[in-house]
Amino acid sequence: MARPRRGHRLSVGSNSSSTSTSPERGIIDDDNDSFMMQQNDSQSSLAPSVPDEAADSAAREIEERCRVSPVCRLPAELMIAIFSKLSSPTDLRSCMLVSRDWARNSVGLLWHRPQTNNWPAIHNVANAIRRKQRYFDYPGLVKRLNMSSLGNQISDGTLLQFSDCKRVERLTLTNCNKLSDLSLTQMITGNRFLLALDVTGLESITDKTMLAVADNCPRLQGLNVTNCKKVSDDSLEAVAKNCRHVKRLKFNGCTQLTDKSILTFATTCPHILEIDLHDCRLLEDESVTALLSLGRHLRELRLAHCTRITDAAFLNLPQDTTYEALRILDLTDCGELQDAGVQKIVAAAPRLRNLVLAKCRQLTDRAVFAITRLGKNLHYIHLGHCSRITDAGVSALVKLCNRIRYIDLACCSNLTDSSVQQLATLPKLKRIGLVKCAQITDRSILALAKLKSPGHGGPLSPSCLERVHLSYCTQLTLNGIIALLNNCPRLTHLSLTGVQAFLREDLIVFCREAPQEFNDHQREVFCVFSGSGVNRLRTYLNEETRAHPFGHPHQQQLPGAFNVDGTVDADMDPDPSQQDVDGGDAGPAGQTALYDDGGNDADDEAGLMDVGAVLDPASASAPATFGGHAAAAMQFLQHLANQQQSQSQSQPHPAGDVAGMGFHAHPPMTQPSQQQPEQQPGLQQMTDSFDATFIDAMDEDMDHV
Amino acid sequence: MSSSQMVTLTTSDNVDIQVERAVAERSILIKNLLEDLGGESGEAIPIPNVNESVMKKVLEWCEQHKKDPPATADDDSDSRKKSTDIDDWDQKFMQVDQEMLFEIILAANYLDIKALLDVGCKTVANMIKGKSPDEIRKTFNIQNDFTPEEEDQIRRENEWAEE
Repeated sequence: MARPRRGHRLSVGSNSSSTSTSPERGIIDDDNDSFMMQQNDSQSSLAPSVPDEAADSAAREIEERCRVSPVCRLPAELMIAIFSKLSSPTDLRSCMLVSRDWARNSVGLLWHRPQTNNWPAIHNVANAIRRKQRYFDYPGLVKRLNMSSLGNQISDGTLLQFSDCKRVERLTLTNCNKLSDLSLTQMITGNRFLLALDVTGLESITDKTMLAVADNCPRLQGLNVTNCKKVSDDSLEAVAKNCRHVKRLKFNGCTQLTDKSILTFATTCPHILEIDLHDCRLLEDESVTALLSLGRHLRELRLAHCTRITDAAFLNLPQDTTYEALRILDLTDCGELQDAGVQKIVAAAPRLRNLVLAKCRQLTDRAVFAITRLGKNLHYIHLGHCSRITDAGVSALVKLCNRIRYIDLACCSNLTDSSVQQLATLPKLKRIGLVKCAQITDRSILALAKLKSPGHGGPLSPSCLERVHLSYCTQLTLNGIIALLNNCPRLTHLSLTGVQAFLREDLIVFCREAPQEFNDHQREVFCVFSGSGVNRLRTYLNEETRAHPFGHPHQQQLPGAFNVDGTVDADMDPDPSQQDVDGGDAGPAGQTALYDDGGNDADDEAGLMDVGAVLDPASASAPATFGGHAAAAMQFLQHLANQQQSQSQSQPHPAGDVAGMGFHAHPPMTQPSQQQPEQQPGLQQMTDSFDATFIDAMDEDMDHV
Repeated sequence: MSSSQMVTLTTSDNVDIQVERAVAERSILIKNLLEDLGGESGEAIPIPNVNESVMKKVLEWCEQHKKDPPATADDDSDSRKKSTDIDDWDQKFMQVDQEMLFEIILAANYLDIKALLDVGCKTVANMIKGKSPDEIRKTFNIQNDFTPEEEDQIRRENEWAEE
């Protein structure tokens, strides 16, 4: 006969004392036996009154069982610890079918987070939950419920089947946008255990759902109501007053919110660690001041596109108080912000690690000089579209904040190679964004590619760059990029969208797929190498250079193929998006670009040497700036470029094809006019998409262009 | 406190084992006991739940891992990681009969040696992975105490659980 848990207690002696303290035990904590709808737990309730003899015989029986099957020695908590190492639900289900004992110890893990990512699973789970004669009390075991994989297919009717699960701790319904207050209120009402609710994108839910949260969920710690545009101050004030343990709040795109609710959060919820108010455009200075001055734990404050925020939000902070907890501040597109505001921010939050000031277009070098006071604390700085910034600001930043790992300077069009040559000396730089810094040339890229000496005079080590964003840096050529590829072994992301030299069919094959949200046009110009694509591009370019050091086979053998400099022969129709390039842009811009790109060979060589000599004193003793293979590759490439150059000058070229794929400032002249408006929005969208992505995933892939 | 200081452990079958203190302190239980004793007494520490053969095996593991960084309070996240990767030495170490395997797990739990407990649990988990219920019963010599109806019911109620 089965002697499930009682047996363990007898057999393991003192080990059972630790049972209740195991964290895994928490999964089925307060009443393990109550899962059993069946009768077999009656044995354990009998046990305390069993006479000694019976206990002895039971102990002997257990002893015998353990001899036959040593695994029986393990108490429930250790069986659970073992089962918790099984990641596959199939394995856990197999464990459930081994014996009653094993079933009891594995069911909590299996049902902790039931599978709800496909319809058959949802139906099966729902059926088990709703059965009257179920073997275990499944609804009480469900701690995490995530319906987001089926997103908009989930209806109120589906979710309602789970409304008996009153111990759900994490309810994730991201983008299940058919759901309404009807099912949400039923799920939430009566659940005192809810810790985290994610209703991102449920546009039809209203204050009713949020009031249910306020009334039922005193333990709530995380709330994500991103883009629930019907939710208003009224219900969120109630949440603020009743759910005082909240730590992480995301109200992105809750456009109705004003200072009223946010001030209440600031005053009643002292434990807030992170609050994201992206696009809460009605927000004003007062709530920002309150969140900062009252939230002593506040670590992360995101205010992107809160366009009403001004310097006063920060200037009104009490004098001489600092907010040491604050690490991340996002003020993207807070266009009113000026240098004085940034100066105060830096003084008040000296330990800021991530500072995002993208599109704060009024900022000047003065703000950048203030930021340098963050010194070594600053790891992450975004100044994209702060187009007034100059090389002087960047230079100061590099000198004083030498632990910067990520920097974005997209569209800072004043910046020249001088800035990038400075940035290249940052020893920890992993990611650099220079999208549309159109003045930069291969000199910048060669500086980034250069070996670094971490200590003064120490051994040279390869760059630790991982992600480099160079889209629309239209002057770049293969030369720089090959050096970059060969000297940055950790490179996993290289974006070159809109850079003429890389829109070659033989290179495009190494590109990754465009992100799903991109439209057709964006896909066509998309040129991003990532992961193994970077390695394959590196290998390909090196092999190509080795195989054809003095010319490119395509030129002689394959009429109509792409030339090595990215030009397209006239009889080749590569793809529709490039037709406008072939046909249009015949103006002087194309010519200029042509000559600029090629340049004077001697100058380029000299430039290479200069970069090495100026940037790295250590390299004076080691004249070969680029290691063996890379140096060879560079020479081949240089030779190749020279040859190309002479050819392109002697042959009539398809007009304009070197001029940057139609992204040049000059409008196409011979192109049907409808092409142009299509391109500009494309560009804009791409920039926007890049920004949005950045906001969403600070440490993820930030730049899609 | 010299690193080669020795301590004596008395096992459940009354055998004294001398061991380097740094090795014994892989066990948080022993570490705390030694700290409570002030470290200077030289008294034998009784370990009433672990016999000599298991203790020696556990200490062999501790010796191998004495230089590992000490476990911290927030190692929890680490143990919850669902990976069942085990390094080569540990894998070899765990090639013992089931009786010893489960004794090691019990001892690691009692002595509070998180990393060893983790390796033990992963070893057992790897013995379960990919097996059918019947194969699992055979592996561990477990008797099926379900009625056919119960077994069928559980199977149906958990049908959803697939890769």
